[in-house]
Amino acid sequence: MNDTQWPVYEVFHQQARGEAHIHVGSVHAPDAQMALVMAKEQYCRRQACVNLWVAPASAILATDYQDGDMFEHATDKSYRESWGYKTPKTIKKSKASDKESAK
Amino acid sequence: MVIAIDPELNQLSKEECERRLETFEGRIARGDKVEPTDWMPQEYRNQLIRLIHVHANSEICGALPEGKWIPHAPSFKRKMALLAKVQDEVGHAQLLYRAAETLGASREQMIEDLISGKSKFSNVFHYPADIWTDVAIIAWLIDGAAIVNQMMMSDGSYGPYSRALKRICYEEAFHLKHGYEMVVTIAQGTKMQREMLQDSLDRWWPPIMMFHGPADKVSKHTSMLVQWGVKLKTNDEQRQQFLRQFVPKMLDLGLKIPDPNLRLDKETGDWLYTEPDWDEFKRVINGGGPVSGDRVATRKLAHEEGRWVREALSAAAANQPIPMPTMTV
Amino acid sequence: MIATMETLNDLDAPTKSAVIDLLYRLADDAIIIGHRGSEWTGFAPILEEDIAFSSMAQDDMGHALTFYQMLHELGEPDPDTNVFGRKLEQWKCASLVSLCSKRDWAKSLVRKYFYDVAESLRLESLAQGSLVPLAQLARKLSSEKKYHLMHGHMWMPRLGQGTDESHQLMQDAVDTLYPHALGMFESTGADDLLDQAGIFLREDELRKRWVAAVDKVLGESSLKINAKASPVYGGRSGKHPDDLATLLDGMQLVYKLDPSAKW
Ligand SMILES: [Fe+2]
Ligand SMILES: [Fe+2]
Repeated sequence: MNDTQWPVYEVFHQQARGEAHIHVGSVHAPDAQMALVMAKEQYCRRQACVNLWVAPASAILATDYQDGDMFEHATDKSYRESWGYKTPKTIKKSKASDKESAK
Repeated sequence: MVIAIDPELNQLSKEECERRLETFEGRIARGDKVEPTDWMPQEYRNQLIRLIHVHANSEICGALPEGKWIPHAPSFKRKMALLAKVQDEVGHAQLLYRAAETLGASREQMIEDLISGKSKFSNVFHYPADIWTDVAIIAWLIDGAAIVNQMMMSDGSYGPYSRALKRICYEEAFHLKHGYEMVVTIAQGTKMQREMLQDSLDRWWPPIMMFHGPADKVSKHTSMLVQWGVKLKTNDEQRQQFLRQFVPKMLDLGLKIPDPNLRLDKETGDWLYTEPDWDEFKRVINGGGPVSGDRVATRKLAHEEGRWVREALSAAAANQPIPMPTMTV
Repeated sequence: MIATMETLNDLDAPTKSAVIDLLYRLADDAIIIGHRGSEWTGFAPILEEDIAFSSMAQDDMGHALTFYQMLHELGEPDPDTNVFGRKLEQWKCASLVSLCSKRDWAKSLVRKYFYDVAESLRLESLAQGSLVPLAQLARKLSSEKKYHLMHGHMWMPRLGQGTDESHQLMQDAVDTLYPHALGMFESTGADDLLDQAGIFLREDELRKRWVAAVDKVLGESSLKINAKASPVYGGRSGKHPDDLATLLDGMQLVYKLDPSAKW
């Protein structure tokens, strides 16, 4: 052995301007520049790509799948969704009698 | 599912083992993927590492028989396509070693195990590619057989392996077309070309029939991987799918399949065939194939001769910062 | 004021043969370096680099193909016949690309870098030249060269300075290859015509630019060049090292089984 098990860099590509960068895989590399140069051919030799990122895998902090239920909604949160609101298609005109009683 | 797991191996009490196993198997039964940070039985982890490791080894060793012919490809198109195809196989090895690493294996160790002969690779790559038409047969039929296997596995239960296989299958589609176009072109060629092609098929057919692994009645690894949703079809089922897909095309091309017992069972639609020599299979994957030693020696040589390069890169990385390389003269 | 030539048909006979000479040099260099690059597929020191090197070999072969296609438009044989059927003495590649560097990563890298700087400068010159189809082609091809240069610029300082061993191997590679690299700029009878027609710079001018660019990067990589090295010429006029004969024997092996066959 006595060889090199280099750090892992995660690779993200952007397929077109305006789109989000998407995770596509990872490479082993001795440093970030080399990771970028290597990632270009392993992950972008076929698919469209306008921009490429690499980031050390060690820099990523992730949630635990075990705690995935924290993303679930235990109570009704429809009030913060557009579909949680119902309004009538036509608005009723207010009645004259209402005006009078207001006086 | 009723797979007993070993509490000692999993370093848990019997009760805790059963509790976690239920969650794990429930996830697989629902069709959810298992991700690296999930708890999984050590048995699942070990078998997956073994499986992906052998798969990755097979990709990198699979680059050798075809890679040998890149310098001899007879036209621009074939030269560039074969180079791109072999490049993809190296890329597959990279993706698969990464997938195995998510289970706790290290790439260094896996490569070390390959070059010391400790770990295995696919039976077909223990045979030599002697003539140009071998690369046509390999790209069409071996990649074809591999696609049957990989498409099936890409729906398997382990997330990182399944993701890697999705991309691999996408690239394999090109390999298959490239192989089929070569076979079709050669099959329509001169007498010499057709004889070469038939010769290639005659030599490669027996190993190809063994590619999907021992018959179900003798395979010892299959059942646990099937139950835990890694392998969704048995070896024999995969072999049958391969035959159904490829035998009619081969016959159309005028190729003679070197198995006197090969015939279609009209009722079941299955192809009946001579049972492969599973003793040969065992001998071959354990390093007793015609070029087993050469394959391992070549990988070992490449790895050892590249060591100074990797050491220099490590040393250079320690002396950061290194400026970003420019793209202009 | 130099007139631009919109199509290959606008070339007069002497300029046309000068362009053919130039295209053969570009094409032959590119296919042979691509072939040399592909010898590493499956053998490179790192998996990821194996993929990168194979991609660049494909790029180089692709460049060669487009040059051979243009040669075919100018009446030369089709690309496959040209590459797989041509005799050794008819090749015009520089000895830099002909030399065998199997299993020698330092030589392969240094050679590739030397070539990439030269090809980039050539493409730059063609892109500004007066022969429109060639200028357009050069602009298109130069986009791929960016990655090749980035790759070379990444490797040179890392191995030049990495360890004592890597430094020594790289220095040996530079010492061996530098005279052959200078040989890329061997002038041919086409130089004056191409220059006068505004199609391509003179070789001695390209060489000056190449030396300046390489000198800088080698310096930053702690590698030295022998300024007194004399160029190894001959490739442009069909005199080649034995390594090229061996390469062609292998490359033309299957094709020659039956040149009329399709594979
Ligand atoms: Fe593959
Ligand atoms: Fe493949």
